[in-house]
Amino acid sequence: MSDAILELKNVTYRRDSITLLDNVSFSLTRGDNITIFGPEGSGISSLFDIIIRANADFEGDVFYKGESIKSLGYFELMNYKKEVGYIHGDYGLMSNLTVEQNISLPLDYHSSMSASEIKAHVGRIIYDLNLDHCRKLRPFDLTRSEILKAAFGRAIAHDPDLLYIEHAFEDQCYLNIKSLIDVLTGRSMRPDKSLVMITYYPQNFIDISDEFIMFFNGRVVFTGRKEDFMNSGNPYLVQYRTNSIEGPMIIL
Amino acid sequence: MFEKTITLTGRKGLGIYKGMIDFRDFVKSIFTSFKSLRYLRFRSIYTIIINQTRFTGVDALAIVMIIALLLGGTVIIQALTSLPKFGVEGFLGNILVIIIARELGPLATALIVIARSGSAIATEIAVQKWSREILSMELMGIDTKLYIVFPRIVASTLSILGLIIIFDVVAFIGGYIIARTVVYIPMDVFGQTLIDAFTFKDIIAALIKSVMFGITIPLICCYYGLKPNSKFEIPIYVSKAVIRTLFIAIIVNGAVSTIFYLV
Repeated sequence: MSDAILELKNVTYRRDSITLLDNVSFSLTRGDNITIFGPEGSGISSLFDIIIRANADFEGDVFYKGESIKSLGYFELMNYKKEVGYIHGDYGLMSNLTVEQNISLPLDYHSSMSASEIKAHVGRIIYDLNLDHCRKLRPFDLTRSEILKAAFGRAIAHDPDLLYIEHAFEDQCYLNIKSLIDVLTGRSMRPDKSLVMITYYPQNFIDISDEFIMFFNGRVVFTGRKEDFMNSGNPYLVQYRTNSIEGPMIIL
Repeated sequence: MFEKTITLTGRKGLGIYKGMIDFRDFVKSIFTSFKSLRYLRFRSIYTIIINQTRFTGVDALAIVMIIALLLGGTVIIQALTSLPKFGVEGFLGNILVIIIARELGPLATALIVIARSGSAIATEIAVQKWSREILSMELMGIDTKLYIVFPRIVASTLSILGLIIIFDVVAFIGGYIIARTVVYIPMDVFGQTLIDAFTFKDIIAALIKSVMFGITIPLICCYYGLKPNSKFEIPIYVSKAVIRTLFIAIIVNGAVSTIFYLV
């Protein structure tokens, strides 16, 4: 049996006759962490439609824990979404709920835990993320880093096997999210938990990523482990690393 | 000119038809969502039901009572001063029940709820959609139709039922007190004429109206709240939500009255 938690096989995705993903294949082994990067319009954001929203019409297939998500019915899709933790760049915290209520929302909705168990569990997450001082505050009263930490807390509340983070760290001061990075680093070392990080700044995730994939024009143009990412002479990667407009990628 | 009018009418008609099909699909999707009720833990929507009931019902009490008092007073003054001219003062109770309990109470309450809560529901949902809160819920595996629409239907139905009862009581009692300053009528006579005029049918009709309003108001407002795709469209759809809910409420009121009292 394959130990892949997530696998994309020959995925081609078109919208309005524009090819957003072109024959993309990669897999993520259980316990591994992957960083996917590329310039704007490279297709890294289109992966969301395929992997997370799972409602797009595309060629090829996506497997989660060996099961095709393309064939999932209404309720199975709900269960799949419940199993994957997701954070996006807008964070999407419920503005009428406090930090504590936001983090406990998926548990209140799905979990069979009792109210007191949820409270204790959420309390631990709040403590780990250093959010104790804003437990009763609503998103409106929070700083950017606190919003990210609350969204992160909500995404990991039900301890998902796969966490998908999309451009969530792009506009953050790393000093303020130290507690979050510590939790994320701890999580990345667990053999049963995997992470997909979608970002424009892959170098920020060298310490937690096992593999790096670069996209350009909807295609995978580089795949490699941490050492390859740092040392490879792949012209696409070199151009991206050096922030140069000279190279195989024509940047508009 | 004629061709242009025909084209415009046709286009408008087609637009209305498409809108109705879209709304039907929305209602169907809610029915599909109801299937996942068994997965829903009540505690997750309990707070929403309480908050919505408080906003739609409790917070609207003051304005509902003031309007009931004024409308009730006006109707009672008109009835007490006009009925004797036609020699039908014996039908005072019937006239009051017909105007206030059967028609004015449910409709005025629905209009107040639409103006206060309908607009608030549409705006809240539109803003939640724009700030990607609804997307976040979807991606947590939360059935948004169930989580957003269902508690609002429950809260609106409870609130409207309560408000209609309060409206009628205040309109009768308060109206009587106001009317007493103009015309004398003994309290016991007034009360007895009302009791005699009330039928079981009136209670059932009011109940059905409150349930119908409780379902249609949040349903239409949620539908329009989920429509905007940009900030710019939010006020457009909120305005549509209020106007169309008002229109539907008047149709529902008329339809229930026709079924109960005409057919």
